[in-house]
Amino acid sequence: MSAYTLSRYASLAVKNLRRRAIRTALTVAGVGLAVMVAVSLAGFMLGYRGAIDRSIDMLGFQVMIMAKGCPYEAATMMLKGGTGLLYLPSDTYEKVKRDSDVDSITPVFVGVAQKEGSGIRDDAQEAAFTVISGVEPSSFLVMKPWLKMNEGPGYAGGRWFAPGTTDEIVLGFEAAEYEQRKVGDAFYASIQPAGKPDSVRHEFKVVGVLDRTGTQDDGTVFMPIDAARKAFNRPNQLTILGIKLKAFDSFKLREFENRWLKLPEVQVVGLQQVKNTLVGLVGTAQTMIAAVAVIAVLVALLGVVNAVLMSVYERTGEIGIMKALGARRGDIFELIWLETLFVCFAGAVAGSAAAVVGSGLVEAAIRGLADLGVSGSIVRITPSVVGGAVGASVLLGFFAGLYPAWRASSMRPVESIREGASS
Amino acid sequence: MNAIIEGRGLKRHYRRGAETVKALDGVDIAIRPGELVSILGPSGSGKTTLINLLSGLDAPTEGSLTINGRAVGGMSEDELVEVRRGVLGFVFQQFLLLPTLTVTENVELPLTFLGRRSEPARTREVLSWVGLGDRSGHLPSELSGGQMQRVAIARALMVEPRVLVADEPTGNLDSKAGRAVLELLKRLAKEKNLAVILTTHNTAFGYEADRIITLEDGRVRKEEGRRPDVV
Repeated sequence: MSAYTLSRYASLAVKNLRRRAIRTALTVAGVGLAVMVAVSLAGFMLGYRGAIDRSIDMLGFQVMIMAKGCPYEAATMMLKGGTGLLYLPSDTYEKVKRDSDVDSITPVFVGVAQKEGSGIRDDAQEAAFTVISGVEPSSFLVMKPWLKMNEGPGYAGGRWFAPGTTDEIVLGFEAAEYEQRKVGDAFYASIQPAGKPDSVRHEFKVVGVLDRTGTQDDGTVFMPIDAARKAFNRPNQLTILGIKLKAFDSFKLREFENRWLKLPEVQVVGLQQVKNTLVGLVGTAQTMIAAVAVIAVLVALLGVVNAVLMSVYERTGEIGIMKALGARRGDIFELIWLETLFVCFAGAVAGSAAAVVGSGLVEAAIRGLADLGVSGSIVRITPSVVGGAVGASVLLGFFAGLYPAWRASSMRPVESIREGASS
Repeated sequence: MNAIIEGRGLKRHYRRGAETVKALDGVDIAIRPGELVSILGPSGSGKTTLINLLSGLDAPTEGSLTINGRAVGGMSEDELVEVRRGVLGFVFQQFLLLPTLTVTENVELPLTFLGRRSEPARTREVLSWVGLGDRSGHLPSELSGGQMQRVAIARALMVEPRVLVADEPTGNLDSKAGRAVLELLKRLAKEKNLAVILTTHNTAFGYEADRIITLEDGRVRKEEGRRPDVV
């Protein structure tokens, strides 16, 4: 078939689809809805994995050593803090530091404090708690060289706390923004020391505010590790050891894990393992949604078949006259087939566009339903996702169009014209 | 003059349950260029069956049929299409115009199936023959019944057929519009040397043909000529 003939058939197909505009629009909408669900789901799968990768990579570690406990708790704690904190003896740091495979290591002490007394915000109960990370800037920044002080208005002159201080803190970008704190402001928090019945109110001085990183660090309050341990009355304890190995591969990691798992109180967690754990957390839900999306697509395709078949039966006389005028079976087949492909293509484009436009809503809805423990965008609709959806829809339309097209092309002109004349 | 369509002993039998319906039961017929042949007869006499056979839309159960020199017995549907292409044009009672296409697009539709490009000059010429040169951009819904039938005639003429098959072309028209269509068919037969096969319930119109074939129970009851040279 020449390009000209194809263009003429395409024009005929489009004009016929426009004849029943509402039916065509509803059929396209059905395909579009299914494609929107499929594209949103694919975007979520892609985006969520990407968000996990980014969040884990932005931890700066390859391996963590932490107290034995639930691996899910360990994974989410590192990403967004947690309340069921377990602690390591601080001499673990000295032991692991001497391991010849360790390239760099940083100790982190995590505690949860109650914010109070600022008088600025008291609107959200859950927001009254904050994660305090006690860190050692010299080794911590080796792991996270991207952490920079914000130099914007009100934040100028920011710096990390001086060694040995007990009342200086650095705020993550969102923590500062939420509390409306600038460099030089006071920050109040109540900390309950371990083994003591009453909380102690502390006044800290904000000496620096970090640039936004898009990670859990944005909502964290950083203070010197020794000061944190003292405030929480855990002078000889740590929460995590973040580690980079000199050579990082699965073999080396396994060796390293086996070496340190001999310590009774620790678990060694590779970051890949954390990624897998987090992906696994939502994997079942994703599979179920994917099944729903597949069913939606199949139902939409049945709708397409039904709509095109109806259109074929309504045009029996026209098909008959086209055959009388010289159309072969193949011509009629292609004409009807093109209509099916156009409906599927239009639905795929509309559905993909809706998915792209509505990705923010989908993200908000998912985050509203479940705390996924990652920061950054979790719905990522790429051109390849859209291209795949459009291609798959057209391919399915290719099959969906076979029966109506065959049915139309099989009509005998005599009967078709007679039926068309009597209808 | 050589016949462009010639049938000998044409039969068309159908099975309807246990019964065999003899819609056409042994008809001899020849159609020559430039003549207007009307086929008359009561309902069920076999007019439409005969016209379907003569136009290659259907195949006879028995008998021989040649269209433009080609024997069509045992041909597949696509082979019959090849026989019809460029030889036969069709006009039906219900017009069967595509409602989404303009007059010009409807008239040019057969070109699409022949793989030919739009021919604006030819389209204008054909539309002028049927008196619709000023309606080329209109949709069928904007035309009267008589105008729609003339568009259908123009569509049939677009590929320069040698035979125009008109099955009850005036059946849906009032007497004035019907008369105009009949006059047009007569003029086309004469001026374009076109064979026109006409079925009609309107006996008065039918008797204006060059040759009148009257069917009854699937057989030719009588054949008479208004013009002695074509009988």
